[in-house]
Amino acid sequence: MAVLEIMENEFQERDFTLPVEQKTEIKIEDLCVEFPDKDGGDPVVALKDVNLEIRQGEFISLVGPSGCGKTTLLRAIADLQKATQGKIEVRGQSPRQIRLQKKYGIVFQSPVLYDWRTVRRNVCMPMELMGMPKKDRTARVSKMLELVGLLEFGKHYPHELSGGMQQRVGIARALAIRPEILLMDEPFSALDEFTKEKLHEDLLRIWRKTNKTVLFVTHNIQEAVFLSDRIVVMSPHPGRVSAVIDVNLERPRGIEIKETPEFTAIVSQVRRSFEGI
Amino acid sequence: MKKKISALKNKYESTIVWLIGFLVIWEIGAYIVEGTKRSPENVLPHIYQIVGSVFRTELVNGSQTLFQIVLSNMGITLFRALIGYLIGAAAGYLLAMLMNLFRPLEKMIFPYLMLIQMIPILGMAPIVLAVTKDIDKSRIIIAAILTFYPVATNTLAGLKAVGPQRVELMHSLAAGQIEIYKKLLIPSSLPYVFTGLKISAPMAITASILVDTLQGGGGLGCILSQSLKHATSIYIFWQIVLFSAVIGIASYYGISLIERIVNPAMKKRGSV
Repeated sequence: MAVLEIMENEFQERDFTLPVEQKTEIKIEDLCVEFPDKDGGDPVVALKDVNLEIRQGEFISLVGPSGCGKTTLLRAIADLQKATQGKIEVRGQSPRQIRLQKKYGIVFQSPVLYDWRTVRRNVCMPMELMGMPKKDRTARVSKMLELVGLLEFGKHYPHELSGGMQQRVGIARALAIRPEILLMDEPFSALDEFTKEKLHEDLLRIWRKTNKTVLFVTHNIQEAVFLSDRIVVMSPHPGRVSAVIDVNLERPRGIEIKETPEFTAIVSQVRRSFEGI
Repeated sequence: MKKKISALKNKYESTIVWLIGFLVIWEIGAYIVEGTKRSPENVLPHIYQIVGSVFRTELVNGSQTLFQIVLSNMGITLFRALIGYLIGAAAGYLLAMLMNLFRPLEKMIFPYLMLIQMIPILGMAPIVLAVTKDIDKSRIIIAAILTFYPVATNTLAGLKAVGPQRVELMHSLAAGQIEIYKKLLIPSSLPYVFTGLKISAPMAITASILVDTLQGGGGLGCILSQSLKHATSIYIFWQIVLFSAVIGIASYYGISLIERIVNPAMKKRGSV
């Protein structure tokens, strides 16, 4: 019970009647990323002239077929991939500075848990790197596991959990260091439909409570529409932004919203923007 | 749970069947060899004769029974093997770390490591002896050399096998090199290190026994060669065979046990 109280204090529920803050979180200008060809041929252009502005607290999805550079864009923002040309600015700083300040929380496609550590110690790991005192870490781990609904699985090892539970541990770990920006690279693509729907609702609940800016990469249009404020549609050869679509659906959203005509309309709008590619 | 027990039972059953089969073949062999009657003592004794010799109470060399002789020499050999094993394991582990830190180093020295491994122990032993001029030191060094290679190669393989995303996670959290080693590379390579340790534990013991035979000064190999030359009872040889087998297997499981203590995730997974 005490844990829940702390949680309510830290995470203030977002009031959706107020307009979304218009402060720019991430600004991308004329970004180009090229991968050198190993045989000395022309470099492969992964991203060409990408321009994008992401607002603070926004849930934004990058959608596109494989090879469109959506993961490369996420990795460039995360400072895991160097830009060939152009500029990325996160809160007025470079991605590298933001990374070194540990303001990114990353969730990969596979959970990337350390299998020699228990669930608790996996969530704890980023905080160990931050040098947080042990007492604070323990409390924070409990809070994070509570948030993703895995408190009673703390002593288990990753291989004892299902794929969906492992992914939730990954999300708890990403949130543990209070990141400003949550970067998610196809986090649910390997999961079955039922688990996926459950995690979608969980993710929206967590996002509502934490107010993070979320950048979500996916190739699933329904998923993108259900979760996002805006959808960035990307196209391949070379990877570029071909459309940005607003999702003006009411929040908080439940599964039932998927059956409304508004939802279907946006899904087909996104799909149409692909056909133009 | 039920399934687990039945699996365990199955494992014991197969071991027992295997053991009985082994004893039957041995006894058939012993009867055939006994029939040839080439020497006064049975060259291939029956199992009960070997086991019985362990409990013989008459003194062989004035102060010790057969079993006491084997036991005291076994202590000497195992002690050398253990020291060589520890030195070799530590050196192999450190070198693997260095090779992982400086990749050019790996390309430079790895072929030589393989080369050393290719030289037969019996060829290497006199060289080491000539260099150290001390048989005890060379026994330890050779056990170390044999331990070194499996530990080094397996550790290096373990350090390289770490998933790139696991490293990226560390980068995204702005972890330094030392932290990456401490929190990721060292623990994730542990199963590989233990594979190397398990391979080399029986090897260090066998090598130790083999190198013993080169010169006197005590050790299982010394009394083994004396026994084979019929200078002492042939049962010393067979007792050594029996106990070396037990020690070799015990060393393997001993390392497995340490691994389970060091890496508790292993225990839960239930793999050895």
